[in-house]
Amino acid sequence: MRHRNIIAAVVLLVIALGYGALTTQLPIRSLPDTPGPPFFPWVNTAILLALSISLLVQGLRGTATEDSGQTITPSDRGQRRLAVWALVAFVAYLVVLPGLGFLLATTPFFAVLMVLFGEKRRLWVAIGSIAVTTFLYLLFRHGFSVFLPRGILPDLVSGIFA
Amino acid sequence: MSPEVLIGLTQSTGLLVLLSTGIGVTIGLIVGMIPGLTISTGIIVLLPVTFVLPADISIALLLGLYVGGMTGGSFSAVLLNIPGTPSASATAMDGYPMAARGEAGRALGIAITASFIGGMVSFLFLFSIAPLLANVALEFRTEDMFAVVFFGLTIICSFAAKSLIKGLLSAAIGLAIVTIGQDPVMGTQRFTFGQVNLMAGVHFLTAMIGLFAIPQLVANLTDGTGSASRVQTRLTSVLPKLSDLKAIRRSVSIGSLTGAFLGILPGAGGPIAAFISYEYARKASKRPDEFGTGVVEGVAAPESANNAVTGGALIPMMTLGIPGDPVTAILIGALIIHGLAPGPLMFLERADFAYGLIFSFLWANIFNFIIALAALRLLVKILATPRALLMPTVAVLCVIGSFALRNNFFDVYVMLLFGLIGLAMRWLDMPVVPLLLALVLGSQLEENLRVALTSSQGDISIFFTSPISLGFLILSLLSIVWSLRSARRANRVTSPPHKETPP
Repeated sequence: MRHRNIIAAVVLLVIALGYGALTTQLPIRSLPDTPGPPFFPWVNTAILLALSISLLVQGLRGTATEDSGQTITPSDRGQRRLAVWALVAFVAYLVVLPGLGFLLATTPFFAVLMVLFGEKRRLWVAIGSIAVTTFLYLLFRHGFSVFLPRGILPDLVSGIFA
Repeated sequence: MSPEVLIGLTQSTGLLVLLSTGIGVTIGLIVGMIPGLTISTGIIVLLPVTFVLPADISIALLLGLYVGGMTGGSFSAVLLNIPGTPSASATAMDGYPMAARGEAGRALGIAITASFIGGMVSFLFLFSIAPLLANVALEFRTEDMFAVVFFGLTIICSFAAKSLIKGLLSAAIGLAIVTIGQDPVMGTQRFTFGQVNLMAGVHFLTAMIGLFAIPQLVANLTDGTGSASRVQTRLTSVLPKLSDLKAIRRSVSIGSLTGAFLGILPGAGGPIAAFISYEYARKASKRPDEFGTGVVEGVAAPESANNAVTGGALIPMMTLGIPGDPVTAILIGALIIHGLAPGPLMFLERADFAYGLIFSFLWANIFNFIIALAALRLLVKILATPRALLMPTVAVLCVIGSFALRNNFFDVYVMLLFGLIGLAMRWLDMPVVPLLLALVLGSQLEENLRVALTSSQGDISIFFTSPISLGFLILSLLSIVWSLRSARRANRVTSPPHKETPP
């Protein structure tokens, strides 16, 4: 945890300095002796800097919770790999979602997550991903008027049956 | 009874409102009992639905889920020794040993009854204190409101974090994010980089979905809790016996009063109330040594406390617009979406709605008692729901929820970004609750600070001349000092003297 605190403090220091630099560019529109738009960001910058430095000092002096020295087992590594794959799938899903549409993008994403969460039966993965995705689409698009993107599916379907 | 109270009561008894309360309670019981799904996650999942429903029905649904979730957490705590929600952690200490002895039904019956009593006590607190506090809060000037919001933030940091610096840093990050968009006094654009999507700022509900749901999903992938195979779904009688009811009288009273009081303090929340009540009940018991071995008082005290917290937490939310926990923060968001601003003016301008909300809370507790007792055997079978189906559904609902907020993909990407921030914060052992509440309270804090300073022409003594402001600033300072002292004491207990720093 000590090393993590140092990393966090350095990252937050950089963020605080960047935030402060951006604050200098804010327009000053106020009456004399009254706080303008940059006032609160300046207060924040000062607080962020002070707290980041405190965390850095704490980390360097080792007064915070010390490194636990936990060993990482192969099963931990495997589970972390699963988490990374889930995040990659999430990012990929959000990239293709606006273009492909809800049904075409969500079904494979759902299937990938089912597999990552330990479902091994392929038929169950196929049925689960299609059924839940379709149910959610119909419920929110038609039941609650949330305009989930239709994407290319209507064109594909009409092209096939044309 | 004033006409507003009667109108509120009538509104809360509308068929759709009652139905919505019942559905919310049922979903809450399910969400609460499934390890890996928290009440916050459940409410996030329901958010897109509430955007399209009328305000009274939406709030009834969310309140039902809040109340049901608190009770549901005890089911898995008793049956699996895995608390469904953090608030049910203390319940497992005596609930699970009872289940291990074959008394799961008895333990759950006690938990449900204690939850009901705790909820009803907190309803009385809410009904009697909230309107009075709202009246007092109407007299607050901007400097007082600044001090109240500041106190809310500092006390949340003190309670939420093991390290005060990390709690305050989390809140400071939230306050920095809140400055994106129009400034609340002059409407000047700040940190928008010419992006139209940033002009309205970052919506805290989008941030909340990312901060809570994505780290939760990842945590569910990286830990293996909640095996369904160990669930004891065959239950004996769940209706508590008269002798048990007599035995839990004192512990339920302690739990209910402690929970309702601690609920009012922003940030204290269910887990703290549950553990404090457990400890008080143990000390007040005639058989303190038996606590932890499976005694009914050990189940009743924390369960009454965590349900009593719900009504207490609604008091600062409704009267001051200050959320005490993530759930009340979402409730504020849901109210704002429907054009209702929680705060003292709510009791003045929309007293009918405010009382409707209070009575919906009452119905939620009554429904919770009935549904939990009647459907317990059926509900616990849901503990066997495969995670492989549940978690992907939650992930997709998070995407729908953030999209539905403004029908905008930008919010979905912001949600993902906050998910990554939440993961980084979890890795750094930094609490996310102060960040979230800073997002909710940041604009209010800035607006009141700047308006107060403008009215005093930049003289900061304005915050020390008003007794209300001064009082809350002293309380803020005390909460920080208390947190520092607790941390120092905890360090002294955990680290033996002369211990060398590991390499």
